[in-house]
Parts: sequence; structure tokens; C-alpha cells
Amino acid sequence: MSERFTAASGRTVVSRTSAEELGTLAHIVVDAKRRQVAWLVVGKGRKAVVVPWDEVSAFGPDAIMIADESALKAPRDDREQAAADGKLELIGKRVLSDLGNDLGKVTDVVFDPDSGAIESVAVDQREAPADSLLGAGSFAVIVLEPAQASAG
Amino acid sequence: MPVVTLGGEDVAEIRDVIYSPEAGRVVGLSLNKRGFLAGRRREVLTAETIHAIGRDAVMIADETSLILPENSPPDLGAPPSGRDVTGNQVLTEGGASIGQVKDIVVLTGSNGEVVGYEIDRAAGGTGYIPLPKQLAVSGSALVVPDATKEFIEDDLVGLGAAVDKFRSEPGIQ
Repeated sequence: MSERFTAASGRTVVSRTSAEELGTLAHIVVDAKRRQVAWLVVGKGRKAVVVPWDEVSAFGPDAIMIADESALKAPRDDREQAAADGKLELIGKRVLSDLGNDLGKVTDVVFDPDSGAIESVAVDQREAPADSLLGAGSFAVIVLEPAQASAG
Repeated sequence: MPVVTLGGEDVAEIRDVIYSPEAGRVVGLSLNKRGFLAGRRREVLTAETIHAIGRDAVMIADETSLILPENSPPDLGAPPSGRDVTGNQVLTEGGASIGQVKDIVVLTGSNGEVVGYEIDRAAGGTGYIPLPKQLAVSGSALVVPDATKEFIEDDLVGLGAAVDKFRSEPGIQ
């Protein structure tokens, strides 16, 4: 089973211990080097908090379950702050190849909801495989330059 | 054009290209800070630390690729004057003027190989000439092989093919 960032956005985040609704998923931040979901950014009223992927007990089709409210962390460093501010949101971000060419914008990201592994990144009408992902920063997502059309 | 790390952060903006006409390549870039009204950055990029120059961005590994001029090769720290080829007259070995240099054309995807010049043609209009790997430059004029005349292109698209053909001509290297 694969999950898409666009489909998961807005999903309710629920505490497993209290069954209370803790917020809704604003967006997902990836660790490009490990090709993994790094954090979920959860909107809670007007504030955004981050949940490290390790604290997610189940990324279900109808709700995202976390142990309890203590998993919601206020941003602790610059990168987490940037994440909470929405600067690391992938959807809509420009995509540059490692050779410095603009390839379009991220339209979706496909990942495995069990492991958090990134499977592919949709760039406009194309799919970039996860292993071509080099970086995801506040300015751009960097992927390997797609190979020129070749036989075989 | 922005300077972007492979991690996806924009760290600087190109201010100027430091070019070595003798070597036919960009030896480095001087930089501005990013953002509106941002000033000059002291650090420079050397060709060795540039991952690639593309159509839309210059890619570097990370911020450690930016080095202070005092730590960079002498060519870059204090570029000799006369490095600016724009305005130079382009003469063939036979002594005919083809035109004046308007701009340099860098091979995209490389870390700064210059493959041609945009010129104001002596005959009028803009043209693109392929460059041999090396050529003589004086600071006011540069000398290109006679065969260059046959390879003046009207646009950049034509230049790409012309460079390969030109460099495979006998006697051109």
C-alpha cells in the first residue's frame, strides 16, 4: 500500500491513549538523504508543531495515530522551525536537477505509510524515482538530471 | 542566477563570471547575497567547487564550497585586468574581423567550459561563434582560426552542433 502526500494532507491526528483529536496533518517533511519521511507538521489551532516519524504509531487511512500529546514537539532548531513555518513543504516546490536545470514543480510524493520510505516524487507530469532524490531544502528539491531518452 | 546547494538551499546569486580566455573556461564566480537589495558576498566559487552550471541555477555541494578570496587561487583572488573579453575584436588568423564579443556562452551541465562567444557581427546583427579549446587573447582582440567564419550561427541552438563539428575540423583543437 502506498500513500500520497496530497491525499494525506488534512488527515486527523489522534492520541492513542486518550483518543483525543490533537490536530490535522498540515504537510510532511522528508529527509532526502535517507529517502524517508522525517516529520509530520501538524496544525493545532493556529500553531504548527512537529512530530518525528518515529513517534507515529500508525499512519492509517482515516487517522494518524500517535502515542499521546507529548509526541507533539515545538520546533527545537532552525530546520524544525523552517518545517513548522511551512518552508519545507514539498508540494508546489520548484525542482532543480543536479546539473542546474529547472524541471518543474513537485505535484505529489508517494511513500510507504508503514515504513515512511519515499517511493517516488511526481514532478509535473513525470515521476522521479526516490533514488534520484538528492536534497529537499527551503529553496528547491534537487533530483538527478533525468537520463536523455535512449534506446533500451 | 541563483547558487543552490544539492540540499536545496539557495545561498547566493551570481554577481560576475571570472573567465580565463586563454583556458577557454570559467575559473570562478563572484557572488551577491540572495534577496532584494542584498549586498556583495565576499566569498567566491572556484570552478573546482562548482558542481554544475545549468540553465536555471549554479549547483554546489554545500556552503563549504564558498571560499574566501584570500584562500582561493591567485587568478580568482585578484583577477588581472584585461580578463573581460566583452568588446574585444574577433580577428581571424587571416586578419579579417568577424565582429566584437558581446557575451560568453557556457556549456550547461559542465562546471564552466566556455564553448562559444556571442558577437556583434561586423556584417551586422548578432551571431554565435564556436571556440577552439585554446586561442590567443591580448585584452583588446582575440584571434580565431580562419575556419571560424564558416561556423557563425544565428542562434544558440545552432551553436551546440557547430561546436562539435568545428572542433573535429582538421587543424583545430
